[in-house]
Amino acid sequence: MSNTGKLKAFADSIAAATSPFRNYLSDLHRKYLPLSDGTVADYIPELALADPSWFGVAVATVEGQVFEVGDCAQPFTIQSISKAFVYGLALEDHGRDYVNSKVGVEPTGEAFNAIVLDEATNRPYNPMVNAGAIATADLIKGKDGTERLKRMLDMFSRYTGRSHDIHVPVFLSERATGNRNRAIAYLMLNFGMVSDRIDETLDLYFQQCSILVTARDLSLMAATLANGGVNPVTGDRALDQRYVQDVVSVMLTCGMYDSSGDWAYRVGMPAKSGVGGGITAVSPGKLGIGTFSPPLDAKGNSLRGIRVCQQLSQDFGLHPFNVAPPPKDLDSWIKGDADLDRW
Amino acid sequence: MPKVIAVHSYRGGTGKSNLTANLATTVAQQGYRVGVVDTDMPSPGIHNIFGLEPEMITKTLNSYLWGEAELADGAYDVSQNLDLGNGGELFLVPSSCKADDIAHILKDGYDVRLLNDGFRQLVKTLELDYLFIDTHPGLSKETFLTIAISHCLLLIVRPDKQDYQGTAVTLDVARQLNVRHVQIVINKALSCLEPGALRQKVEETYEVPVAGLFPLSEDVVKLASEGVFCARHPEHSVTQEFQAVARRIME
Repeated sequence: MSNTGKLKAFADSIAAATSPFRNYLSDLHRKYLPLSDGTVADYIPELALADPSWFGVAVATVEGQVFEVGDCAQPFTIQSISKAFVYGLALEDHGRDYVNSKVGVEPTGEAFNAIVLDEATNRPYNPMVNAGAIATADLIKGKDGTERLKRMLDMFSRYTGRSHDIHVPVFLSERATGNRNRAIAYLMLNFGMVSDRIDETLDLYFQQCSILVTARDLSLMAATLANGGVNPVTGDRALDQRYVQDVVSVMLTCGMYDSSGDWAYRVGMPAKSGVGGGITAVSPGKLGIGTFSPPLDAKGNSLRGIRVCQQLSQDFGLHPFNVAPPPKDLDSWIKGDADLDRW
Repeated sequence: MPKVIAVHSYRGGTGKSNLTANLATTVAQQGYRVGVVDTDMPSPGIHNIFGLEPEMITKTLNSYLWGEAELADGAYDVSQNLDLGNGGELFLVPSSCKADDIAHILKDGYDVRLLNDGFRQLVKTLELDYLFIDTHPGLSKETFLTIAISHCLLLIVRPDKQDYQGTAVTLDVARQLNVRHVQIVINKALSCLEPGALRQKVEETYEVPVAGLFPLSEDVVKLASEGVFCARHPEHSVTQEFQAVARRIME
């Protein structure tokens, strides 16, 4: 039995490499590769080193198939994408009520680095702006910075099925230039919204932003959320089932910085972007998308990534509010109907 | 709709490249645009049969896999060597036969998924009606992939025990990959074997149709690797058998 099991597993991986859906992704990649708009983030020198032509598109289904096109193995720093997942860990550590008392879930329309708190409650508006993410990092349990970081890295490993490292130069640069974030943290300390282990928590926050991931990782992270918190390839649980909805909801309302409303209208899939060039997008019950392309639009979202998610959403009807029959049926494209023009 | 034909055998020396060259030429003679890709990267050779001199070759399949060129940039129009007539055209994408390039592929490998993308792009760019893929013998990642994307898989078998067993393994794989049309070609059959009985035995053993049966032919051996047999000997009985196999592929 184990022999046929291996043959089947290998045949499945070949089938994923040759399925009509991967061919579709390959055409999509070819279509958007020439796009030359946007600028690579350069607020720290390490990010400016990114090659603007890097472009990877990965899609993982809740059945555990992974389709990859382009630079899907190129590591880059996760940046703000980490915020959504660390929020999930904070929910597991403290429960919904306590976390809600420290961080709101209201979109701001302000830029991600705005120094603004809810005047009535002194809470940061949501976990996706820097203020909310720092307050969320503060909630991560552990006896010291090392243990708290390890718990974060272990969590990401459960989402992706591999171990993760910090990009040390990016971390050091983020820390050296992070005075605005330091100011936000002290403002929150002033209001009693974060604990007084501020330097440790800020280090933790800069470290979580400097974790190295790939487009493939981002697709698996999204697919894990789409699959109710269980990594569909490894079968490991990454997030308590009760909190999947919480994480995905804030991704929908706040995930794409101050263009979240436009994103919800045009694409609809809850998503989170990072200035490293990554986007992770969730189609609940179906699949997760991971894209990587460093050039960003004015709001800080990856330009090619936006286009890819938009087109996938339109072609396969992945907008959660879509009720019209989509132009392409996801199942038959993934399974490979003989009728589909594969060439 | 374009059709992809993979020509494979479990063991080497079965006459794979020769069959590929002759079938591709026969199909092109009907007026079709035909491509041939030599994916036998460790031991390339089909360019010899098509009369493409190594010094004429600049871009190859290797160049594409290393990101240096599009696959179509490594396609050479070899139609003039073949007397095609009827407006057919035949393009060959060779693999590099430089020792350094072969060593590079063996040492570093390549992303096998690029093959799939490259084939599709080649078919589009050259507007091909048929794409023949000459494979490396045995089972490897690239043979799995090639088998998975082909509309028709031709397995070459010599009538001996090793080939019989290897073919059974290959068929297991092909079934797992849901290949729709698999056909067997028997090659180098000794004249002492009765063709009808041999066909029947092979078909019963594998439950796969036999598309053609070629005797161990001195005429073919003489010309092997120096030209496409069916273009040189259009009236030969072996050429007629190539035409019969080509008809079954084109059905």
